[in-house]
Amino acid sequence: MSHSHHHHNHLVLENLTISYRQRPAVHHVSCALPCGGLVGVVGPNGAGKSTLLHGILGWLPLDTGRVVWNGHDVSGRPGVISWLGQRRTQVAGFPADVGTVVATGRYAQRGMFGGYGQADHVAINQAMQAMGITALASRPFAELSGGQQQRALVARALASGAEVLLLDEPLTGLDEPSGRDLLGRLRTWASGGRLAVAVIHDLAAVRAWCDHVLLINRELVAVGPTAEVLSEANIARCYGVAHG
Amino acid sequence: MVDPFAFLAEPFTHRFVVRGLAMALLLGIAGGLVGCVLLLRRIVLIADSFGHALLPGIGLAYMWFGPGHTGLYAGAAVAGLGTAVMSGLVNHLTRLPEDAAFGSLFVLCFAVGIMLMSQVAAPVDLLHYLFGNILGVTGDDLWRVCFTTCATVLAICLSYRAVLMEAFDPQFLRVSGGRSLLIHLGVLVAVVINIVAALNAVGLVLSLGLFILPAATAYLWCERFGSMLLVSAIYGGLASCAGLLVSWHLDLPSGACMVAALGAGFVLSLLLSPRHGLLGRLLPRRHFTHDEGAEVCAAQGPDGKVLGK
Repeated sequence: MSHSHHHHNHLVLENLTISYRQRPAVHHVSCALPCGGLVGVVGPNGAGKSTLLHGILGWLPLDTGRVVWNGHDVSGRPGVISWLGQRRTQVAGFPADVGTVVATGRYAQRGMFGGYGQADHVAINQAMQAMGITALASRPFAELSGGQQQRALVARALASGAEVLLLDEPLTGLDEPSGRDLLGRLRTWASGGRLAVAVIHDLAAVRAWCDHVLLINRELVAVGPTAEVLSEANIARCYGVAHG
Repeated sequence: MVDPFAFLAEPFTHRFVVRGLAMALLLGIAGGLVGCVLLLRRIVLIADSFGHALLPGIGLAYMWFGPGHTGLYAGAAVAGLGTAVMSGLVNHLTRLPEDAAFGSLFVLCFAVGIMLMSQVAAPVDLLHYLFGNILGVTGDDLWRVCFTTCATVLAICLSYRAVLMEAFDPQFLRVSGGRSLLIHLGVLVAVVINIVAALNAVGLVLSLGLFILPAATAYLWCERFGSMLLVSAIYGGLASCAGLLVSWHLDLPSGACMVAALGAGFVLSLLLSPRHGLLGRLLPRRHFTHDEGAEVCAAQGPDGKVLGK
């Protein structure tokens, strides 16, 4: 694992309680996720994983608590955190080339009217390199494979210059090699002092690729280095085997 | 033997035909642009129900202000806004899915609109609003359409980046600090404005054709959002004019002919489009299955590990 000098930086969740449809779905989650790696968010269906991410993004109101990055509350500051939603939120047959899709990531910096300059092109090219899609830049997005599309969407998020990337089930619909490839690239990206947080259902993939794990079932079950958190006891506790 | 030039030039000697053609061109351009967003955003049917729901607003405007246009726009706009809010509420507060909420409310509105119109207007007026008559439009109508089309073109050009992102992935627009809801509402407003503008020309029922057919046709040919908008607008404008000319020569209803002309190109495109047409399906296609990125990653895996099986 990378031990870069950025390692002291954390995404801090302070006592987060988030409601979904008027009911608290996640209770009093407190933890500090260290940057420099890939964090897996793991838990059973209905555990509030997506709710947690939506709360961090500010799409759901926080009943209690706050989210802190670099000593600042992240609420109302677009551009700090980027996002890759579940796959059905994008239009699969959308008429755009890959370069255009990635370039929309710069909206966080340039807004609706701002022209793109040198810095934007550098960010776009670096993002495409990080996701290995430079050669696909001029191809229609709709004609890429599922894995290539997913990498293009991650590149779009990286191009925004955000230092924190949240991903909701990025492996859905990908075959195993594509999934491994994506997680490997995310981890490489994050190792440069940034943070990727992904909801992942496949525990084998989590063990193989995540540096840290946040185990959640409506409240925090465990958080920390992957090997420690994914113990038999913790998993049984989180997936409710003990509760029946 | 008919002189072909005289035959083709004859409609242009009539002032009202030329006016109708200008109208068809403008309506086709605006409809083609808005239609692209509707198609990609998958809200075509919502826009259709929207058109039907304007009828009670027109009825009320007719009742209060007579058949003039000033009240008509206001009435239709209020009806559009009201139904949008209502369906939003029904969707949020009940278990009905969005399309069912829209569908139920709008068919109800349509029925109420027909009842209202039957009381306040002559039957010929009701038919006029349902099906329109582009050869009967006035100079004022033309100015209004000129204004709405220019406004639509300008709005799409100015907000191009946000419209593209909203159509592709509204969630990501939101996370980038964009006003996704504002763009969405702007699109719905553009739909209402352009349906009202098209009211006298093609009527409520057929106006959907001006939106969806050019967009669907362009979608079958274009791989870029910008070119899709351009092709859709140009095709929408030209095919509408062609339809109007056909209607003049064959003495058929103008609105129906315009939509049929737009539809003819759509059906041809369904067959002939190289990438997405039925014919293209039979020919060998280019595939992008070779994944250049995978090897690069295998060479550079994290921690220097080689990413084998």
